[in-house]
Amino acid sequence: MKQAGSNRETFSLKSRLKRFKRDSNRWSVFTLAIVIFLALPIIFIGVELFSGPGETWSHIVKYLLPEYIWNSLYLVLFCSILVLVLGVSSAWFVSRFNFPMRKQLEWLLILPLAIPSYIVGYAYAGIFDYGGSLDLIFRQLNLDFIRIDIMNRAGLAFVLSISLFPYVYVSARAFFLNQANNLLEASKMLGVGERKTFFKLMLPLARPAIVAGLVLVLMEVLNDYGAAKYYGVNTFTTGIFRSWFSLEEPETAVYLSALLIIIIFALILFEKWQVRKIKFTSSKSNSTQIQRKTTTKSLKWLIFLVVFLPVLLGFILPVLQLIYWATLTASTVFDVQFLLISLQSFGIAITSAIITVFFALLLIFFSKWSALRFIKNVSRVGVLGYAIPGAVIAIGIMIPTLALDKWLINVLANFGIDSGFIINGTLIALFYAYAVRFLAVAYNPIDSTALKVDNSIPDSSKVLGVGNLKTFFKIEFPLIKTGVFSAVILVFIDVMKELPLTLILKPYHIDTLAVKAYEYASDEMVMEAAIPSLFIIFTAMIPVIFLNKLLIKK
Amino acid sequence: MKKILIAVVTFSLLTACGSNNEEKDNSNVQETQKEQVVNVYTHRHYEPDQDIFKMFEEQTGIKVKVINASADELIQKMKMEGKQSPADVLITVDAGRLSRAKDQGLLQSIQSEILEKTVPSHLQDVDNQWFGLTKRARIIAYSLDRVKPEELSTYEELVSNKWKGKILVRSSSNIYNQSLMASIIANDGEEIAKKWAKGIVANMARSPKGSDRDQVKAVVAGEGDLAIVNSYYIGKMLNSPDAEEVATAKKIGLFFPNQEGRGTHINVSGAGVAKYAPNKENAIRFIEFLVSQDAQQIFTDANYEYPILESVAPTNDIKAWGDFKEDTLGLNKLGENNKKAVLIFDEAGWK
Amino acid sequence: MLAIHSLSKSFDKGKNYALENVTFDLKEGDVCAIVGESGSGKTTLVRLIAGLERPDHGSIALDGNIIASLDKFVQPEKRKIGLVFQEYALFPHLTILENVLYGISKLKNKKIRAQEMLDLVGLSEMGKRYPHQLSGGQQQRVALARALAPEPTLLILDEPFSNLDAMLRMQLRNEIFDIIKKTGVTVLFVTHDTQDALSVADEILILQNGKVVQKDAAANLYVKPNTLYVASLFGNTIQINKNLQTAFRCPLKEDCCHAIRNEKIKVNPTAVDSDCEYITNATVIKKIVLGDSIQLLLKLETGEQLTVMTQDKNVADTITIGFNSKDILEFND
Repeated sequence: MKQAGSNRETFSLKSRLKRFKRDSNRWSVFTLAIVIFLALPIIFIGVELFSGPGETWSHIVKYLLPEYIWNSLYLVLFCSILVLVLGVSSAWFVSRFNFPMRKQLEWLLILPLAIPSYIVGYAYAGIFDYGGSLDLIFRQLNLDFIRIDIMNRAGLAFVLSISLFPYVYVSARAFFLNQANNLLEASKMLGVGERKTFFKLMLPLARPAIVAGLVLVLMEVLNDYGAAKYYGVNTFTTGIFRSWFSLEEPETAVYLSALLIIIIFALILFEKWQVRKIKFTSSKSNSTQIQRKTTTKSLKWLIFLVVFLPVLLGFILPVLQLIYWATLTASTVFDVQFLLISLQSFGIAITSAIITVFFALLLIFFSKWSALRFIKNVSRVGVLGYAIPGAVIAIGIMIPTLALDKWLINVLANFGIDSGFIINGTLIALFYAYAVRFLAVAYNPIDSTALKVDNSIPDSSKVLGVGNLKTFFKIEFPLIKTGVFSAVILVFIDVMKELPLTLILKPYHIDTLAVKAYEYASDEMVMEAAIPSLFIIFTAMIPVIFLNKLLIKK
Repeated sequence: MKKILIAVVTFSLLTACGSNNEEKDNSNVQETQKEQVVNVYTHRHYEPDQDIFKMFEEQTGIKVKVINASADELIQKMKMEGKQSPADVLITVDAGRLSRAKDQGLLQSIQSEILEKTVPSHLQDVDNQWFGLTKRARIIAYSLDRVKPEELSTYEELVSNKWKGKILVRSSSNIYNQSLMASIIANDGEEIAKKWAKGIVANMARSPKGSDRDQVKAVVAGEGDLAIVNSYYIGKMLNSPDAEEVATAKKIGLFFPNQEGRGTHINVSGAGVAKYAPNKENAIRFIEFLVSQDAQQIFTDANYEYPILESVAPTNDIKAWGDFKEDTLGLNKLGENNKKAVLIFDEAGWK
Repeated sequence: MLAIHSLSKSFDKGKNYALENVTFDLKEGDVCAIVGESGSGKTTLVRLIAGLERPDHGSIALDGNIIASLDKFVQPEKRKIGLVFQEYALFPHLTILENVLYGISKLKNKKIRAQEMLDLVGLSEMGKRYPHQLSGGQQQRVALARALAPEPTLLILDEPFSNLDAMLRMQLRNEIFDIIKKTGVTVLFVTHDTQDALSVADEILILQNGKVVQKDAAANLYVKPNTLYVASLFGNTIQINKNLQTAFRCPLKEDCCHAIRNEKIKVNPTAVDSDCEYITNATVIKKIVLGDSIQLLLKLETGEQLTVMTQDKNVADTITIGFNSKDILEFND
């Protein structure tokens, strides 16, 4: 061409700078500000890394680290297998076959998400305990020589899997329901049998969806503290607590959490990599729903059993155990104070859910409106909090906010105002921490519904002379509100269940049900913990059912 | 759909505003100090404590504001908060944590005749920075069927070969185990302590897990013969709402070790006044109240702890276990040796 | 009124260019079609003009004002450009009337204006319905009404008919351009279909691999294409390579490329057609009857194969074919 030289010139530093100046707008600045705000705790922990680990680091490496790594790997592996078997099989049967109580089981399968996994752990310990429910049944049957010990590594893996498999179930089912029908019909036309269709076609195709769910499960597994501690399994997270508190070396705890974060990022990268490899899933959702197959009567009941089993193990059994305990302790635990705590819990969860979703919306849309392409990538940094244990985030939040608080106190003192902490020990710090920790939970459903809205729709609005903000309120928000709503619900449930971060950051005179349950349990009053646990479950259950309705409608 | 959304948003806004107001109230309280308060950081999350706090509020008009968390977390929190910490009183469930708090400069010495008089000298800090409130003993629960009490003598004796595969004990991350180990380090020296830890690990019936109550259940279930447990959990089991737990607790015997020698290892739940306590006077009154007749009675009646006030009789269940000789080791030692204890546990492979 | 100068855009930092050095002008009231295959950069070009993408190089000026360059970027909402998307992009949660009203909410007589627009596109009665209740053609007309309502200085139609089937497509194309002509707005019409372009555009701009190959009046493109690619866009064209030159015994200049349209090759030229200067013999390999005419697949003596059209139903197995030198297209590259 005539101006062949211009290509090189186009990407010269000078032109780049010019474009950077042209394309950086206030949205870019806002996005960066939000990302920094959300990443602040992580940044501070990162900075701590440079000061080196504490003096017991070599002790930990020598005596504890191999066990932490081995146990964590064991849990990751065992839970992966169990969660995949439970989650994928139930998702497939529910979307592909007709069997008794299918409709009920479809949402019952989500309910284990409503129970914090440490509470499932307590319940199972109670069931298998000496003098526990199972033991009593065995005694009736004169089988009391049988005793199953669940409080070990395998038991922990079982408990975590049974309470976390719905993450895989939900994402696998969404794929089967929305994407699978055409392919299924094509496969049938080619005369391929049911089993082969599943293993050779559906399973490989659903892999990205399944792995996305699996990564969530594994993050929760690695972050679990309550259940692992109770079951006597030392993992990275219990190690973080041990080195921070028992050995009094926060620096060492930070090092351990850095290691844990590396493992988790490796998992995330693995997910990204394998999703990139498989890009053949069609993004346009199919309007035709999957056709359910009716089978013979005996097979029907067999499928029912297979699907019912995870519900039984993950929800019904632990809840029954909790209800049994609750009847024993109702008189001592249940009072007006307790109702107040329930209300506080609910209020905190819903408020922080809305705040977190608000931040997620800001992040998603500001980065979209920013014309700089790298900003979009930078915005993903804001969701890393989910990968970091709650206790670590709490430290990360206390470091900068305490500094700010102390500065504020000094400044205000100059004006003769004697203020206490404005951020720490108040709800502000708590909401901030929840936003950091659970942003990813809000970000993903909103982002994925936003992606389903064709770009041409907001583009049309802009070309018609309507600015970004107004386009958002008039066009985009109405179209993504199911996503926004699911995000609110998901964060709500997570906050209801959250423990370590709440323990450290919560203000005076404010208690949550999770804190209450933990207080009882940590004082070996597991039975008394049943009522707050049940309250968590029931407050979380209602939105879970609601969420399921939303997902089906989609 | 829309209506629900609106309802949810309104509700949350209301609660948000509500809680904001509450915050303002809090800071106002701190600003003006008109309303008398005492801010308590406590590791004791026992229901009966609430009643004691309420009694204190009624008697003095001082409002008790509580933060519940583990002592370790509370200490970290106070450290980070520094001079501006709102904490007035720190309550822990073991002396080790209190002396750790003292070492880190989080507590202050106080003058109180009542405390000086009531709390035995080995159960309080030499610099009057903290005071014990209640006692609990780390004792041996044994199977009535398989063990004769004559076979038992000391903690140190538990490493002998005859207990191979018989001992049940919880994880070394538990503070009571750490304190027991710290007392052994203090009494016997580090070398013996190391050997002891290894010996116990070698004699364990199973890998450490669960709570003290679970250790007792495991003895009755036949997994092992002996469990090292805290006295007040047995009291709680005997009064459990679950009939099965009561029956279990009745199937074990209790042995207080080292009666011939230094005495059974005891620990205290104790309290100290925070270095930067904004309400120091209230804090002292509060701690004094905790060793009063009324409070001590509740501690022992409802929580099965040994009272520190001699005029208060232990509740019947624990009185039945009889008097015992307690180790009078200065509890400061527990804090000093705590970290060493954890390191020794790790080396010995005590999970 | 629209002046584009040296416009470039790359989505991978200069490794590949979606658009490279594009320069052209558009006069007030013109209807200009942009023709190219998918991936030729058509859509990138209109998105740059509309302000939905930002150029890496070059400039765009509208009515003499720069709206995008390295230093300046006018937001899409400030450009007064109308855009109709291939997928209609109606707001699914708003009624037809609300869709049309959307861009003119600041107008005083917006209700009247919106109704006029609906009248114009023949959907007067449909205002209360929602987009999903309309057919594809109707939706596209709503999209047009919505785009025209704010009286844009430039209207861009991005493949507006490619989602419609052939019959509807022709009908709607004519209808829509009748409407557009009434408004007198300047139009940029993106399509991959030359028939569309030829039937409505005053001028056609051909894009290939992100570069402009030719911009000319519709008639000129057929007669004087710049490249073989442009020529073949408007009808099957054969390059006259060395073998064909030997077969037809037509020595041509060495340094340029020559081609002939298939339809200009005559079968069994008679004395009347004696102006066929270059002739050769061919064997019929296959006959395909296409309604009125017949397509013949031929093999030449030199072994070359080519197809020609004829009206003669009783064509023999061996025939002569020929063409006239004035029909030879000559390209520089």
